[in-house]
Amino acid sequence: MKKFIHLTLLVCLMACESTIYPELDAPAEIIIVDAWLQHDQSDQFIHITKSQGYFDQTEPEMISGAEVMIKDLTSNKQYIFQELDKGYVFPNDSVFGEIGHDYLLTVQVEGEHFEARAHLGAVPPVDSVVFSYNPEDYNILSEYFSAEFYAQDLLGAGDTYWIKAWKNGILLNKPSEINIAYDAGFGAGQEVDGVVFHKTIRRDYINPLVEREDRANYYLPPYDIGDSVYVEIHSIDPAAYDYLSAVKTQTDRPGGFSELFAVPLANVSTNIHSVDPNSNTAVAGFFNVSAVTGGGKKLTAEEANNLSNH
Amino acid sequence: MKAQNKLVLTFSLFLSIVRLTAQEQVTIGGYVRDESNGEALIGATVYVNEISNGTITNVYGYYAITLPKGEYSISYRYVGYETKHHSVDLQSNSQLDMELSMISEQLEAVVVSSKAEDANVSTTEMSTVSLDIQSIKSMPAFAGEVDVIKSIQMLPGVTSVGEGAPGFNVRGGTVGQNLVLLDEAPVYQSSHMFGFFSVFNPDAVKDVKLYKGGIPAKYGGRLSSVLDIRMKEGNNKRYEVNGGIGTVFSRLSVEGPLKKDKASFILAARRSYADVFAKALTDMLEDGGLYFYDLTAKVNLNINERNRVFASGYWGRDVFDFGETTGFDWGNRTATLRWNNLISQNLFSNYSLYYSLYDYGFSFGDSRDSFDWKSSIETFNFKPEYAWSINPTNELTFGGEAILYGFEPAVAEVVNGGVTTEIDLGEKRALEASVYASNSQDFGSKLSVEYGMRWSHFMRLGGYRYHYGDTLTGIEKPLLEIQKVVDGKASDYTNNIEPRFIVKYQLNTSSSVKASYNRTIQYLHQISNTNVSTPTDIWYPSNNNVLPQKGQQVALGYFKNIDGIAWEASLEGYFKWTSNQVDYIDGADLFVNEYLDAQLLSGIGRSLGLEFYLRKNTGRLTGWVSYTLGKSEIKVDGINYGSDLVSRSGKWYATSFDQRHNLKVAVFYDFSDKYSLSTNFSFMSGTPATFPTDRMTVNGYVIPYIKGGSRNNFRAPDYHRLDLSVTIKQLGKPNKKKSINDQLVVSIYNVYARENPFSIYFSQGTDRQGTTNVETTAKQMSMLGTLIPAISYNFKF
Repeated sequence: MKKFIHLTLLVCLMACESTIYPELDAPAEIIIVDAWLQHDQSDQFIHITKSQGYFDQTEPEMISGAEVMIKDLTSNKQYIFQELDKGYVFPNDSVFGEIGHDYLLTVQVEGEHFEARAHLGAVPPVDSVVFSYNPEDYNILSEYFSAEFYAQDLLGAGDTYWIKAWKNGILLNKPSEINIAYDAGFGAGQEVDGVVFHKTIRRDYINPLVEREDRANYYLPPYDIGDSVYVEIHSIDPAAYDYLSAVKTQTDRPGGFSELFAVPLANVSTNIHSVDPNSNTAVAGFFNVSAVTGGGKKLTAEEANNLSNH
Repeated sequence: MKAQNKLVLTFSLFLSIVRLTAQEQVTIGGYVRDESNGEALIGATVYVNEISNGTITNVYGYYAITLPKGEYSISYRYVGYETKHHSVDLQSNSQLDMELSMISEQLEAVVVSSKAEDANVSTTEMSTVSLDIQSIKSMPAFAGEVDVIKSIQMLPGVTSVGEGAPGFNVRGGTVGQNLVLLDEAPVYQSSHMFGFFSVFNPDAVKDVKLYKGGIPAKYGGRLSSVLDIRMKEGNNKRYEVNGGIGTVFSRLSVEGPLKKDKASFILAARRSYADVFAKALTDMLEDGGLYFYDLTAKVNLNINERNRVFASGYWGRDVFDFGETTGFDWGNRTATLRWNNLISQNLFSNYSLYYSLYDYGFSFGDSRDSFDWKSSIETFNFKPEYAWSINPTNELTFGGEAILYGFEPAVAEVVNGGVTTEIDLGEKRALEASVYASNSQDFGSKLSVEYGMRWSHFMRLGGYRYHYGDTLTGIEKPLLEIQKVVDGKASDYTNNIEPRFIVKYQLNTSSSVKASYNRTIQYLHQISNTNVSTPTDIWYPSNNNVLPQKGQQVALGYFKNIDGIAWEASLEGYFKWTSNQVDYIDGADLFVNEYLDAQLLSGIGRSLGLEFYLRKNTGRLTGWVSYTLGKSEIKVDGINYGSDLVSRSGKWYATSFDQRHNLKVAVFYDFSDKYSLSTNFSFMSGTPATFPTDRMTVNGYVIPYIKGGSRNNFRAPDYHRLDLSVTIKQLGKPNKKKSINDQLVVSIYNVYARENPFSIYFSQGTDRQGTTNVETTAKQMSMLGTLIPAISYNFKF
């Protein structure tokens, strides 16, 4: 929706923007737990850092000396993490955890004891990844190829997913490219279950739009001959869906007239909590364990030819 | 118990009034109209010299004064019109209609708002502002388009958060707390193209009145204000065509008699034509369209001296289409049927039946994968009202209102790869009923009091009731149970009494002090967690989780006229306190959400302010200065709780439309019959915004963090702007037979091209970021950061 509004208003009027340098209040420097684990990977990393001043563009410093542990609440198996230079790691040579199990993360750091829970949900396979031919349109002033993946939401309401995509091995990591699905649709209150993901999810976010340097508000074709696309579906905890939805809202600010529909800045949610109900220590970050499936494709000259002649 | 005492007091006062009427008294009443076109004059003064007192005409132009039998000399006055005097030997109830004629051209241009010449001082109204359409048309406007909503923002106590933001804020209230009425029918969205233009066609508008406080008992349903817009009835003497070609709209209106002096009509239409230009410039609109239009129509019929009927309607729509299946649109439709019935000279009645529909939606995709969403609010309303002129010192108004609402929060059709899923959150029906009575009473020549009471009742009809459990305040509440209510069965009743009170003490002929108190209740909520109100905001009824908003206001004012009515001045102070203000949990998802209530929070609000207004009414140079010193705050548990993570009890914070200083200057200068100049200056303190303190890196994303979850912890820079316009009248040579009045208006909006802030936002750099040293910036966005010239041509024949 934002896109339409953005386009609509650009036609009628011109907004202007300037970078400003406000003096912000002193940072709170709270503890941040970044614990996104993947079932399909061997080594698992957890980062424990501190938040820093908003304009401070240095690397966040790792907090050392933390005791980090994950417990499989279904099987009671424990995973003790070890401190390394780049974070807390659980070295492993096979997959991590079991699909369908619940996990409890505990972190003891700087005299505080935090914990978080997450469910490792199942994930459907990526059925196919395809390219298609498009005539020129109001975004892209030439014929172009776009990518799309096909996959079907698992039966039963409340499955949540994060779809990640790579173009030529580069992760599409802009806030505007965060692609999450609640079942096959866009939210908990609007149940669309057990069917193929909506086209917006299948297509819109895996085609990166880079603005042309010679012409504002128009974009380069997302995929050319020789380009490849790789798509992964990550099952996420429903709380992680809400969290990522908030991250997108708070970080994806294209500016311009979409500001008419912008929501006020607010803190994103977290599932990390102090075990002490009377603790006033602020903490942020998120714990999630994902199962992952993937699929990819390269656009060959031959296929491009076939597509454009169709 | 308290409420009962108040009712008893009201009733006994009423009885004492009725006893007074036992004397031999008769009533003179009638309509006051414009001689040239038969339009009723709203708020004309009818003054009885012998008793040094009088009355003003109501919204239908009717007046009634009850007097002891005898001979009287009566004056009929209306600003810009010749005063008429009439002697009458009053022995029985009689009707005396009066037609007033406009005074010469030159003086006509005088800009005045107070219709009755000294109404600001002499009436028991306070905290109201009214603008006649002449003043509105004289102001320089954005893109040269005369705008009712923008014009009232030049008056004290009325603010807006900036260009493009729909609606207006009154005395620290939200946009959704204003009741906007067009010929009595509620208009839920007063803007075209977000907030850039308002939906009211100036050619069809006769009178605009805003109640910011001291709201009469006949109005209810919103917390902050009532904007009462009355449409023209249409010239009942001769045909008239008005039109204009502007930069955004083309307008055309036709009015005339259906039967001379008996029946007339007006039909007015506007359409934007930006799409016509846009299509030439870009091919992105090839399959779609981008336009807005409105159509206003009204007919009225004088059946006889005692009966008159009116039918009016409005149809407006904004359409933003990008191809066959992608786009969004919204629009209001209203229809009003009214019957004025003079039961007797001293008892005027009006019965209104009206319908209002606001619907909006958006869709995207193609035939195999689409998303199509619609939402609406529909209102059926019946409203009888009576005005009884009991005796020279008492005028009683009473009546009622029954409103049936139909809310459709979301109906969506989602097609995924050819498989359709229907989502319907279910229509929610509700009934709001109220009765009111209000008496305006004079105690001697100096003290006048208007006291009234409104009793309102609200219930949900059928539908579902959702029960939620408790959790940490400020976090989505867990659903416990969904309860189906039998279709049509009432649930969630609520009753409220709304006392209204104004007292005026006349210090001398040119000055008075007034004080008022009112309580208002709002059963509907405009749900929106965006920075500014948007056309897609959801209207939502009160229920077992969302309680009616309640507000109280006290105001005190001093009113003064200087040099006759050449200058008028006022100083008003107000304090408002509200409860059950709707707010939202952080990260609330309000769009197509069946469990919306779980995302809503409730808080209390307070606002106070001081409003100063000085106006010059006569001479070549006219205009006004308006200044408001204001403060508006809200306190919600679960929001802005600082370091108190355990109780999460909210601290007071400034609302996003809180403006400390608000200065508006409007100046009009007539050089000659041909040329006139008008200019506006606005200054508003920067509105609050939430700025982050920290950034955190999670999963490669740099996310802003606000220490203590503070809301609105910073202020945007101040807003100021100067607009100018020059009007050149009578361009063409007047034709011998038919005189064409035409004018050319050249205007410049934002003369010194200030980049006024609309919003400040924080984000990662727009380039694809690596995994380290991600750039974070703050940007200030201006909606119209440049000067905008416009030219428009208007004609009338």
